[in-house]
Amino acid sequence: MKKYFALALSLLSVIFTSAQGVTETQDFFASNLKIYVVVAVLAIILSCIFIFLLAIDRRLKELENKGAARN
Amino acid sequence: MNWIYKKWWKWLGAVLLFYVLIGSFFVKLGPGITKVSPSVFGTDSVYTFQISGYHTHFTSAEAEKVQLWFKNGSQYFAPTSLKILSNDIVEVQFGFSSLQQGTIQPAVFDIVMNDEKDGTFALRDGLTLAKASVIDSTQTVLAQVTEPKVKNNKHNLVCFPYREILYETIRNTFFHVPMWFVMTMLVFASFIGSILYLWKGTTKWDVLASQSVVVALLFGTCGYLTGLVWAKYTWYIGVSWGDVLQKLLLEDIKMAAALIAIFFYVAYLVVRSSISDPEKRGKVGAVFSIFAFVVFVLCVFVLPRLTDSMHPGNGGNPAFSKYDLDSTLRMFFYPAVIGWILLGFWILSILIRMQFIKQKQSS
Repeated sequence: MKKYFALALSLLSVIFTSAQGVTETQDFFASNLKIYVVVAVLAIILSCIFIFLLAIDRRLKELENKGAARN
Repeated sequence: MNWIYKKWWKWLGAVLLFYVLIGSFFVKLGPGITKVSPSVFGTDSVYTFQISGYHTHFTSAEAEKVQLWFKNGSQYFAPTSLKILSNDIVEVQFGFSSLQQGTIQPAVFDIVMNDEKDGTFALRDGLTLAKASVIDSTQTVLAQVTEPKVKNNKHNLVCFPYREILYETIRNTFFHVPMWFVMTMLVFASFIGSILYLWKGTTKWDVLASQSVVVALLFGTCGYLTGLVWAKYTWYIGVSWGDVLQKLLLEDIKMAAALIAIFFYVAYLVVRSSISDPEKRGKVGAVFSIFAFVVFVLCVFVLPRLTDSMHPGNGGNPAFSKYDLDSTLRMFFYPAVIGWILLGFWILSILIRMQFIKQKQSS
């Protein structure tokens, strides 16, 4: 579980740091009539939901383990 | 609470969101003007300007049906000639003579265009008339003041409105705005659940109240982060992130108040987790949730309206007016709101069912 979480975090950090590097030099997000702002917004929403799902997954695993221990 | 086991509304939510995603990717932006070059001119000679349109249909309209004016105040000036180079580029000639120089002050012009297919569209403050560097006294070209006459102001295209500053980010209306609708609905569900728990004392209402706050915080976080990104590239282009955060979080009432509202619900979860006795936890939580809902409504809906804020919908800044939401936006905005709300409640139903299993296990 922890492995997946770390993987997701590292992926996200790669995306965000690379994006920041571009904005500083040529304002990538303001180019092409700001379409990449929409992409960034969708990426934020999807990654939030993804992280939330991982958290639910972990909680469900605990429940399953408890149930297995009782039976 | 049988609704959490029903399937039809989950399917409805999925279908609506799918429709919204497809629409927000495939519907184009409406006609607009992106650029005029050169953007500064003088009174010394006749200038040739190239005007770049975006999603315009100049060639499909008949040549004489493409019209263009330079507008200053309430005066419209017509160019001396207009040549269509492609679907989105026209070349016009325009200039003021030195004879007119006494009457023409340095000014800023809007560019207004009209053609049969695209209707009327404009670029605000696109062109600046600076003082002439060379005055040619033989110049006799006169810019004509005209009365603009158009057949059709509105186009019949299916497209999202082209707004300066916003441009393509107008599509965020289907993603950023519904996040707050979902949060409001879930927080309201928590409020109702808390009242019912205090009234009836059944634990299922406590589960509803607490779990809907968890999902509400997910959507609140999404709404806040997307809002930050959208705000930076709308209001603060070229400003560093540190300055943007300071301006938005500390100086803008809407963002500061929304953050306070979110923190109240984080505090709700912290308080709940610190009480081990279930009955006590439920009662304290219910009272806290009702209190937090009042704070949420005050912070998100009342407080920002009393003072000024950059955010639309506050302090004389309109939102949801007829200018903000045209018919094409509405076609996707309302399904987006319903779809995201249903998705939120879908996640909520899963959390509630997990809590029910947990209770069954521990009893």
